[in-house]
Order: sequence, then C-alpha cells, then structure tokens
Amino acid sequence: MLESFVEALALATDPWVILYVSLGVFMGVTLGAIPGLSGDMAIAILLPIVFFLEPASALGLLTGIYKGGMFGGSISGISFGVPGTPGAAATTIDGYQAKLRGYPNKAMHTALYSSVIGDTTSDLILIFVALPLAIVALSFGPVEFFALYAFALLLISALTKGKVAKGIAMAALGILLAMIGRDPIGGSLRLTFGIPQLAGGLALIPVLVGIFAVSELILQLADAWMRKARRIVEDTKAKAEGLFEDYDAKADRLTWREFRGTLKATWIGTGMGTLIGALPGAGSSLAAFISYGLAQQFSRRRQDFGKGSLEGVAAAEAGNSATSGSTLIPLFAFGIPGSATAALFGAAFILMGMTPGPRLIYDHTAIIYALFIILIYANLVNLAMSKVLLPVYSKVAMIQSRILLPIVCVLAIFGTFAAGNSVVDVWVMLAAGLLGVVLRIYGFPLAPLILGFIVGPGAERALRQSLLIGGGDWMHLLSSPIAVGLYATAAAMILLFTVILRDRTQPPKPATGKEGSP
Amino acid sequence: MKSATCGILAAAFALGPLAAAADSPLGTDPIRLVIPFGPGGGSDITARVLAATAPEFCGPRIDVVSMPGAAGLEAVNFVRSATPNGHTLLVTDYGPIVTSGFIDEVDWEHSDWQPVMNFTEWLPTVYTRSDHDIQTIEDWVAVAEANPESVTFGHASPLGIVHLPLVLFEMETGLQNVHVPTSGGGETRSLVMGGHIDLGMTLPASIASEVAAGDLTALGVFASERSPALPDTPTFREAGYDVVLPAWLMIFATDEVPSETVTFLQDCFIEALASPTAVAMSDRVNAGISPLNAEESMELYMATVASIGSILREIGEIE
Repeated sequence: MLESFVEALALATDPWVILYVSLGVFMGVTLGAIPGLSGDMAIAILLPIVFFLEPASALGLLTGIYKGGMFGGSISGISFGVPGTPGAAATTIDGYQAKLRGYPNKAMHTALYSSVIGDTTSDLILIFVALPLAIVALSFGPVEFFALYAFALLLISALTKGKVAKGIAMAALGILLAMIGRDPIGGSLRLTFGIPQLAGGLALIPVLVGIFAVSELILQLADAWMRKARRIVEDTKAKAEGLFEDYDAKADRLTWREFRGTLKATWIGTGMGTLIGALPGAGSSLAAFISYGLAQQFSRRRQDFGKGSLEGVAAAEAGNSATSGSTLIPLFAFGIPGSATAALFGAAFILMGMTPGPRLIYDHTAIIYALFIILIYANLVNLAMSKVLLPVYSKVAMIQSRILLPIVCVLAIFGTFAAGNSVVDVWVMLAAGLLGVVLRIYGFPLAPLILGFIVGPGAERALRQSLLIGGGDWMHLLSSPIAVGLYATAAAMILLFTVILRDRTQPPKPATGKEGSP
Repeated sequence: MKSATCGILAAAFALGPLAAAADSPLGTDPIRLVIPFGPGGGSDITARVLAATAPEFCGPRIDVVSMPGAAGLEAVNFVRSATPNGHTLLVTDYGPIVTSGFIDEVDWEHSDWQPVMNFTEWLPTVYTRSDHDIQTIEDWVAVAEANPESVTFGHASPLGIVHLPLVLFEMETGLQNVHVPTSGGGETRSLVMGGHIDLGMTLPASIASEVAAGDLTALGVFASERSPALPDTPTFREAGYDVVLPAWLMIFATDEVPSETVTFLQDCFIEALASPTAVAMSDRVNAGISPLNAEESMELYMATVASIGSILREIGEIE
C-alpha cells in the first residue's frame, strides 16, 4: 500500500506530468470560456494522444482540461451571459446579472473558489468513499430517476417569483423541444415535419448558445442601433468612448466577508453536485440547477437571487464542479461511464490497455493512485492559474460591446459548428436565438426552458422505461421509497416556500430593464 | 445528453508520420474516416488503430471524424455527398447503413455503397447479474415460457446491433419479453447491475472483465462460434437455437469511387493492420481486429442486408 503510494507520488509529481496538467488547465479554461466549445470536446480531440504519451502524463493532461473546462464555462457565462459549457448554464443566471451590475471580478472569483472547493471535496469522496456512494447510485433506476427529474423541474420552475406559471410553461416548452427527433422507445420519428436533418433531434450546444448568446447579441445590437438612431435624430454628440466601459476595477474585489457569505451556498452545491454526479446519466447541468434552486430556498437573502447574487453563482458553480470527481465513481466501481466525460476517461483507460471496472484499482494500483493525486493537485493548479488569468478575463468582460459582440458572435457560430460538425446546428442556434429574443421580451424565464430541454430526454426515457417495467401501471412510479421521498420533498418544499414563508419575502420591486433575463 | 461531447476528432491532429509516399495514388490530402457515433466507443477506438498505423502504408494522413448527428444519418449523408475520390470513407456497423437504409427516408440504396474492408465481427451477448435467478439460456427460456412478458430486457438503440438479435430470437422461439430501450451500453449495464431489469445485451469486450471477476454472467452469444473474450460462454446455437446475428464494423466507400482506388485502400489498410504496431494496439484495446477484404466484406454486407430485411419485414417495420 505505502509502496504503491510512493510509486504513485513519484509518477504524479514528475515535472513533465505537472507541465501537462498545467497545459491542460490552461487549455480547459480557455476552451471552456469559448461558447460552444467545452473541455469534453478538447478531451475527445486529444484522446488519441494517450497512444503516444506516458499514462500519467496523458491522464494529467485530460484531468487538467476537464477541471479547467468545468470552471472556464462560467467565465463566458459571467462575461457575456453565454454559458461556455452546458454545466455553466445555472452559473449564468446570477453571474451575468453580477456583471451587468459592474462586478464581474467578484462573480468570477466566487465561481473559482466555489468550483475548487466543490471539485476538491468531490475528488476526496471519489478516493475515500467511492464504493458506498456507487451502491447508492446503482439503486437509481428509471423510477427513481423520473422522480429526480420531476423534482428538479418543479424546483427550478418555482424559482422565479411571481412567475411560477411562466416557469412551468417554459419547462414544458423545453421538454417539447427535446422531444423532436427519434422516439427513444419506439424509434419512430416525431415532430420533425419531414425535415430529415431533425431526425436526430436538436443538439444541446446550439440550443444553449442560441437561447442565451444569440438572443443576447440580437438584443444588444437592437439596443445599440436604437441609440445610434436616436443620436442621428437628436443630433447629439456621442460621448468619448474608450475601449472599456465605465468600470471600476478597484471596487470589484471579492472581500473576505463576501466570500464567507457564499460558503453556505458552496457547501449546498458541493453536496448536491457530489451526489448527483455519482448517478449515472444525471449530469453536471442538473446538479448545478438543483444546487442553485436549493441554495435559493435556504438563503437568507433569497430576494437577491436572479439579480447578481454571489450565493447563486457559488451554489451553481460548486454544484457543477462537484460532479467532476464523483462522476468517475460508477466508472471505477462498475465500469459504467456515468457521463460523457466519464465515457471519455473510460475510453482513455481502454486505449492505455486498462479496462474500467472494479479490477482497475487492483490491476493498475500505481497509475490509479497517481490519477487520484493528480485529481487533487490539479485543483490547486486550476486555482493558481485562474487567479492569474481572471483579472485579464474580467477586463475582457467589460470591453465595449461593439467590439466584443462581433467576436462573441463568431466564436458562438464556430463553436457550435465544431461541436457536431454540422451546419444544421448553426441554423438551430440562430432559430433558438430568435426564440430567446421573443421569450425575453415577454418576460419568460429562460432557465426552466434550458433545464426542461436538458432533462427532457432522460425524464421521458425514465418514465417510459418505468411504465414498461411496471407493465403499464402508473402506481409503479411510487414503488420505490427513494422516489416517494423525492416527490414528498418536492411537494413539501414548494408548499413551504410558496405558501408558508411567502410573507417573509420582500414586496416585489419595480421591474428593472433586465429582470426576467436569465 | 445529445451530442454535447461529440467532437471534431480531426484535423488538429497530424499524428501520422508525414513521410507520405509521394507516389501514393491518393496524393497528400488526408483521408477522413467518418464514424456515425460519438467519440470513445468501440467504433471510434477501432478506427483509431487504423488511423494511427495506416499512413505509413497508404500515404496521406488519416483523421477520424465523429458525426453522431441525426442518429448517424448525418455522417452517412456527408460521405455520400463527398467527392468520390476515396478520401472520405464511412466506418459503421450495420445500424446506420443497413437498418437505416430500410426504415429511414434516405436518398440512397444499399447497392450505392461498396465495402473497402471489414475490421471485425462483434458478437452480441446476453448477460445478467451473477446473483440473478436466470443464469443460463435454458433458465431464461423456462421463465419466459412459464410467464410471458415477465422478463425485462434492456438494450441500446432500437433495431440496432444489440436489439435485432433479441427480435430474431423471439421470432424463432415465440417467446415474449419486455423490451426496455436504453440510451446505451452504460445505462443498460447500470440497470442490470442495480436490479432494475433482468437481462441486457452488449458486446463481449465491455463485460469480459466483470464476467471474469464473477460480477456478471454471460448467458449466451448470438454467433456461430464462441467469443475469444468469453470462452466459457456458449452460443445460442449450442443451446439449440439457431440464431446467429453478428455485427460487423466495416469501412465503406460510395459506389462512385473507382475500383482501383478501393483496391489500393483495401490493400494498404489490411497491410497496416497486419503490422506489429497495429496488432499490439488492437490487443491492448481488445478490438479483436481480423480484417476481411473488399470482396468478402461485400458478401457479408449483402447477406446482412438480406437477413435484416427479412427480420424487419417479419415484424412489420417495412413492407
């Protein structure tokens, strides 16, 4: 045991391995920050490299990319309102509002710290308590998963105060959009209107980038043109414009007190993220949304959520990042890839001649221990490197939109195309952008739509699998104590927070221009 | 989660040696192996063995491009509409080309494709937990006969390579099981291991180590011979059910690609896969590569088109 630990330590701290980890983190943060591109994609591209690198270096590189990408997605979410990765969609809700209120740096640092805390905790749980959690994860079958999805959808839909109906409508629309394509059970086509390119359904990246990014671009462009048009009419002089908008970098520092204020939300996110990450197929976006919803329900400053709350950023980002260690639990325990990332790590193991599964840690003790050590210290590399990069990125966030918008637009189209090598995806993205504009103008919340779209296929599959297994009896959905517990919790929370505690919340403020956007 | 991770597995990576034979009839433009699935699966890994070793023999660099869009049809259409010069090839199992050619609205026929070579034959395998009551093919048949529709059976992609053998088996035996489609092999396995369903179907390489460790039991293989990865698992034929439906992984070109180009590709691919590096890689990733040439592949392809056509007609999917 000690011997293999020493061997693993030697492997993991080899200067080349550290270099590859750092390179990976840098690539991950940067790619994650580009809307549409994600760490997963970079891992997929770099997968063949494991044929040629030493196993520890290869795993170091992939781990670095993964962790960097996890956090990087929140940078563009906060800077441009465009989640750089699906997992960062929930971070965007409050992160972008924080930027609009002039404190992107605070939001990014909150995201970074909560991401590192969530990630490290999740890694420790992977290393020390993988097996018990893995057994819990296996007890999640279709019945339990459907309850979890229903729980998440109700929680997020009920979040937008005074707009519960709109929230539920948006979740339903999201599920409807997710149903386009092939019926997951029967295999027949539906809602494609005879368009063959829709047979595979709408891909997540274009919908995500379209709804958040393209709609934002269109609205900003409209706003800029409106001001220009007015200027022509009124013949007023434009004020001198520098590269940056009015931005006080000094005031935008995260204080110790503010950081402490976000810790509760961070721990909620860490707990939920670790748990949900271990469930095969649940995914980091779901973890982030549930964490965000719970943190809001348990926050003393609920009214700030949706308006740039740092707690909201912390919960979502911790929830997102805390899936990163635990998502490998089913892979190590049973050889089951629980997420796209875990599948890619599984493929990397296979390419290195190691079969994922319970034998992995016995057959390849040194390299797996080395991976564990890398998982932990890659978080520190991520922290250090992002600390250096963040001041630059938060300044980028405040660049004049007339310069920034075209760049983001090109990146969004490029990233979307690259994600699936598909031109159809680009059209889907533009259409989703128009839909986003309409929804924003009429004050529909976007988060439930995205969550509905993300969990829609899983929820439908889980429901129909449950009914198939239960012989068509709907009571089968209540046959599991876990499911009943989830339904009861959802009902209790909604009762508690919408009826009983209603008086504690503040009277609604007059709507500001940006309210209702994500 | 849809194609969140599908990636360009391509251009960025000029890993192949650039010492391209200048006299290669294919010139220096890269060859693209397009796969209709996401990265990281068996097809991707197998194609990469070729991409890593063949440039030395074929000349140009080889890229593996993953296009899972439109349930794989995007990849098929992409190869279909590419210039027919042998630089854009499709690597697929029979799902996206044979099954889709029957049930989807496509503007090509099965005869519009010609195989370049076949990598391997995958043997669909039925498995369950080692503490489940059903442990053999006979147990399964007995339970299913006593209580029709009582056994739940998980499988990925309806009418694909790990579902049609079950359909064929039921046609032969008249047994009825509850089919539970899943999002893929990983989900099937977690449902089986978690006790949510009774049986599942997968390919031998993905369960071999759990079977060896005693966590899973492989009931039987839908093939004419046992799988080298699961030497103790009987075939369904041994148990008295003549159901054989192996899944191949083939490289296709469109029929417009000149035959001398196809022959050149076939020769240099097979030569590359016989090289010591390729053999070592194939062993390491458990790919079980044993190539068939274009002619043998064509025979196998046409036989599959015929057998799948008759299954689909029988179950009423096509007329």
